[in-house]
Amino acid sequence: MTALLPWLVAAWLAAIGLYGVVTSRNYVHLIGCLTVFQSATYVLLLCVGYKWNAGPPIFYSHPPGTPAVDPVVQALVLTDIVVGATVAALLLAMCVQLHKRKGTLDPETLRPLR
Amino acid sequence: MSAAWRKALFGLGLLLLLAPVVGVAFHMPSFGDHPLPYGDAINEGAPRDRHVSNAVSAVNFDYRGFDTLGEEFMLVTAVTGAVFLLRGSRGEAVTSKPGTLPNRPIAARSDAVWLISRLSGPFLMMFGLYVVLHATVTPGGGFQGGVIIASGLLLLFLGEGYRGWRHIMHSTLLDILEGGGALLFALAGLAPMLLGASYMQNVLPLGTFRDMLSGGLMPVVNAAVAFAVLAGFSMVFLEFLEETRQPDKQG
Repeated sequence: MTALLPWLVAAWLAAIGLYGVVTSRNYVHLIGCLTVFQSATYVLLLCVGYKWNAGPPIFYSHPPGTPAVDPVVQALVLTDIVVGATVAALLLAMCVQLHKRKGTLDPETLRPLR
Repeated sequence: MSAAWRKALFGLGLLLLLAPVVGVAFHMPSFGDHPLPYGDAINEGAPRDRHVSNAVSAVNFDYRGFDTLGEEFMLVTAVTGAVFLLRGSRGEAVTSKPGTLPNRPIAARSDAVWLISRLSGPFLMMFGLYVVLHATVTPGGGFQGGVIIASGLLLLFLGEGYRGWRHIMHSTLLDILEGGGALLFALAGLAPMLLGASYMQNVLPLGTFRDMLSGGLMPVVNAAVAFAVLAGFSMVFLEFLEETRQPDKQG
């Protein structure tokens, strides 16, 4: 059961993130949901790289050769968290401009540009 | 599109996705108990071939450095886009008046905020610098350290207020750091080619294991990433804070 729990956390995060995106009535809320969905991928990646009874992939205090978890997925997650934050900033900047022009952030009341 | 339609479309997509997701879910390797050949190879190779004790940094700045170059340009592009969107409609002028909301007076900054921010801001920045510098040795690196330094700068805003903060933050300097970081990364990749090596091949002396400057080319690439991340986040903070200011009277 404990081996199933990490996958379930990833699935749960993806599910609530996606549900929030679909039912969102405000673009700021939608961006929040998007980052929740994104964190599901981080949990999933870290789960893939995990190994029982292994330490961190940093060989400073324990010598090289000690069992360690996968550093590749950690590097992927690390860069993506930082880039994801700036992408969220870009989306929020779009929200600011949208609110200035249309006065609303509700996707339902916005019409496509003609 | 109405809310009902949106949910119906989502349900349809979910039904289509259900079969493959269930198929994959029942064939997942068991958690924490499957071979990781690539990770094991890097855990073995990073200390031996690159004299680096932080395998994550070795992946980021050496083994898969080309991917990180892509990530770095994604970061620069996202920051440029955000700055362009916010600055484009507002102009480049620095505004002096704080924005106000009706019935919400601007409260004076309390002494506690001032004291705590002034004390912890510089400490946080120093910690960020430490995290950046020890990228190849202990947990950390340009990405994390850059964000920590930028948060320290934001703490300075809390302590000094907008005007004092704008006095420290030079927009041009941030632009140079942002673009210069990306440029330094690309050049660090191209430089080995002048020596006849491949792109981003680690041609510099590797240094001693567990030393701050170990890893050859890695500290250079790490510094480039730190500059870009630090400047990128600071620029985003600056533009969003500028957005809260009252626009000056324009014709």
